Amino acid sequence: MSTIVCLLVIMFIPDDRPKLVKQVSLFFSAVGLVLCLWLYHAYDVQKGGLQFVERILWVKSLGIYWFMAVDGINLPMLLLTAVVLFTGVLTMWDLELRVKEFFALMFLLVAGVYGVFLSMDLFWIFVWYDVSLFPMYPLIAIWGGTRKEYGAMKLTLYLLAGSALILPGILYLWVQGGAHTFDIFELQRIGFSPLVQKVAFVMLYLGFGILAAVWPFHTWSPVGHVAAPTAVSMIHAGVLMKLGAYGILRLAMTLCPEGLAYWSDFVALLATVGIVYGAFVGLAQTDLKYVIGYSSVSHMGMVGLGLSTMTVNGINGAVFQMFAHGVMTALFFSSVGYIYDRTHTKMIPDLGGLSNTMPIASAFFIVAAFAGIGVPCMASFWAELMVFVSAVKTFPVRGIFAVLGLVVSALFMLRVVQKTFYGERNERWAHIPDVTLFMATPRIILVGIIIFFGFFPRIILDVIQSAVVPFVAGL
Amino acid sequence: MMKWVLFTPELYYVLMALVFFCLSLRIKSEPRKLYGYAIVMSALGLVVTLIFACQEGMLFFDAYRVDLFSQVFKVLLAAGTFLVIFCCSELKGIDERQHAEFYFLVAICTLGMMMLVSSVELLTIYVSIELSSYSLYLMVPMRRNTEMFAETGVKYFMIGVTASAFMLFGISYIFGVTHTTYIVEMMKVMPGVIKEPAAIIGIILALSGFFFKQALFPFHMWAPDVYQGSANQVTAYIATASKMAAAALVIRFVGFTGGGSPVFVNVLVALSVLSMSFGNLVAIIQKDLKRLLAYSSIAHAGYMMVGILSMSSRGYSTAIYYAIAYLVMNFAVFMVIMKIADDGHNLQIKELAGLHKRSPLLALTLMLGLFGLAGIPPTVGFTGKFLVFAAALEKGYLTLVVIGMINATISLYYYLIVIKAAYLLEPVRPYPAIRLDGWTKAMSIGLMILMVYLGLFPDQFVALTEAAARSLP
Repeated sequence: MSTIVCLLVIMFIPDDRPKLVKQVSLFFSAVGLVLCLWLYHAYDVQKGGLQFVERILWVKSLGIYWFMAVDGINLPMLLLTAVVLFTGVLTMWDLELRVKEFFALMFLLVAGVYGVFLSMDLFWIFVWYDVSLFPMYPLIAIWGGTRKEYGAMKLTLYLLAGSALILPGILYLWVQGGAHTFDIFELQRIGFSPLVQKVAFVMLYLGFGILAAVWPFHTWSPVGHVAAPTAVSMIHAGVLMKLGAYGILRLAMTLCPEGLAYWSDFVALLATVGIVYGAFVGLAQTDLKYVIGYSSVSHMGMVGLGLSTMTVNGINGAVFQMFAHGVMTALFFSSVGYIYDRTHTKMIPDLGGLSNTMPIASAFFIVAAFAGIGVPCMASFWAELMVFVSAVKTFPVRGIFAVLGLVVSALFMLRVVQKTFYGERNERWAHIPDVTLFMATPRIILVGIIIFFGFFPRIILDVIQSAVVPFVAGL
Repeated sequence: MMKWVLFTPELYYVLMALVFFCLSLRIKSEPRKLYGYAIVMSALGLVVTLIFACQEGMLFFDAYRVDLFSQVFKVLLAAGTFLVIFCCSELKGIDERQHAEFYFLVAICTLGMMMLVSSVELLTIYVSIELSSYSLYLMVPMRRNTEMFAETGVKYFMIGVTASAFMLFGISYIFGVTHTTYIVEMMKVMPGVIKEPAAIIGIILALSGFFFKQALFPFHMWAPDVYQGSANQVTAYIATASKMAAAALVIRFVGFTGGGSPVFVNVLVALSVLSMSFGNLVAIIQKDLKRLLAYSSIAHAGYMMVGILSMSSRGYSTAIYYAIAYLVMNFAVFMVIMKIADDGHNLQIKELAGLHKRSPLLALTLMLGLFGLAGIPPTVGFTGKFLVFAAALEKGYLTLVVIGMINATISLYYYLIVIKAAYLLEPVRPYPAIRLDGWTKAMSIGLMILMVYLGLFPDQFVALTEAAARSLP
């Protein structure tokens, strides 16, 4: 466990390296990946519960603990973070502008993400959460693309408005707990009165929901994705949005189960609207990144829907969906990033027939699109299946609407694939070389993961289940 | 004789004032030498204050109380004075012939504020507040190009005197109700009379004098003009040290009323909300960096009030912590301003363009300082806000805390504009490179470490502030 903490510290080293920055950051992201894989391997599925616990009293008078641990829910998230960071660094290999600052900020962001996933103390979760948010501003505003300053400012303000709700929520629970502790599990043991739970749940749900792009608080997300540089989009859509869903699960649902029971209708409604809305708006977009942005809104809606069912399958599916969607969006953005770098456009009408000139690059996008639709043998298929099965059981009408939303999203994905990659060969792009093997490596890794977990979902589901089963039993 | 030991820090600043008074009598002025004297003396002052930080006792017929609370603030004041003088190596904003007077007034003002944080008797409070105020009234118009900024000095003086008059009026009411000017005596009588309108009016009027120093809405009118109109060093002094003293006094004064009167508490809540919202909203449209900081200081007075109005021991201790945090962050920002505008002009936000190339160190200091002011972890500003809001929520002010957090988000917008200027914009015409000596570099690195350290490891400091809050009468 402490190795992970060490890793966080080491991550800051690239700050002072001059030209080596890229190699150094690649090395450290690889170390992170290996450590996460080791952690994944070392995690005892049979035993379940919290493992690799580190718990030190931090501020005595307030009951703040440095409390880090791994369980079945955050483990897949850690793995996801490590994978996306590693591939993200590889994707940005061509970066030339202010390289050192870019990687330093990116590592700071990821350090925050690791921190949120690992911490089991409300105070630290919030600290890490904010640490992971503010590097987004310079990352988008300096290295971004379309309307970068607007996108960066909108994103930062939206997300921090979210934390403006989370902080009072956390403090409210701390005061109501009466035991002066920020430790999640102690607070959970104490329990809260139904009224407190209802109030606190709304604050935490809305606060984290903004980051999870819950409809109607999603508008920052497509704009931010479009404005961000490739690797940042990958981390942002792949990992950062998961922080929101993870926060809802870890804080709001763990501490306020009755609050969730009270609001679950509302949560499910917002999630369903998000799925359908995201799909329909995605249909109308002409910018590749906007399409992916709205499909993310739609997919994150599925996570919300799964969580709101409060069943083992639903939450299992939601966590799995977080993982699957993270890998998938990373692949999406990474392939769009490549296309954009070469053609300097990401407008669908300008492209077309790309599969003739760059078959491999197109293949990556198409795989991602299939994963997004939920084609069998892809990781997201299992996740979506589980969410829908439990959703239709719990909320029949909304469940059916959500499935319809998925059909629409299949429609728009296929439309994009058809217009961008098939059709007539476009002579403007004829001279562009296809992906080199080195540039293809990160995408191959991502595709591999999607397909691997598509064939062997048990490997990850067992881990998730080891935490979800006791969790649901405790609700 | 022993009792005078308690008074040593104050005596030291009297000595410092005397030295500079004598130096100011000379016709020839040697700025470099004066700066050397000043920095050595203020550094010694900090050491002296630190040595006597653990004293306790009463002086002057119990009108003067030396306890951990007052000593913590004295250390902060001495530190603030030292830091401001440290940045005076390029005191271009003030005429060379007046440098000795400037240091003299700084010493006197620090003396007045040190007395202020120890006074527990209304008239002593009044005398010390006037002592510090009058030196500030003199320091503000000392700037070069006085014609341009003459209005500033007059405005500050007029508003200040009016506030004093209100305060005296309020004090007379309090005296009329409680028949004493000693705060300790008053605390015994207060619970019986706190519901009387006269007592509430008296307390609020008296507090308005202190709120004036703290620049809390609606007593903030002077702040933007004074921040903009006075020399950068004077502004830094007002923004850091003077705010400290006012905060200490408000904590002590609010503390003795004990929260027995809902009307009084509601007034404080309203002032705090208005102060936060007004300060943050108006700051958005500012173009001058010092003016922007003036409005942000109004907002910060509101945040501090959130802790104070909880009227609990935790509330006071968190407000003290917030004051420490504010001193460090604000000073970091002002140091950057003073170093960039080393010829003493007012810094516009757009002049920051390309700062990350001209001086990466200052840009980083500025960014951390501003993130601190905005309340972003892992800086001290976040921990301060967190503690203050925790204290307020403990007393059930949920709405107030939500408003406070919304304000923190609003404030982030204009801090981000400044950071954007420093990191993203390219300058229209090249600005000269910034000269930094080794000391300044060390200072900015030190401040950055301090900001993060205080933010991430607050344990000891929270314990210290809690001990200080317990020592309140």
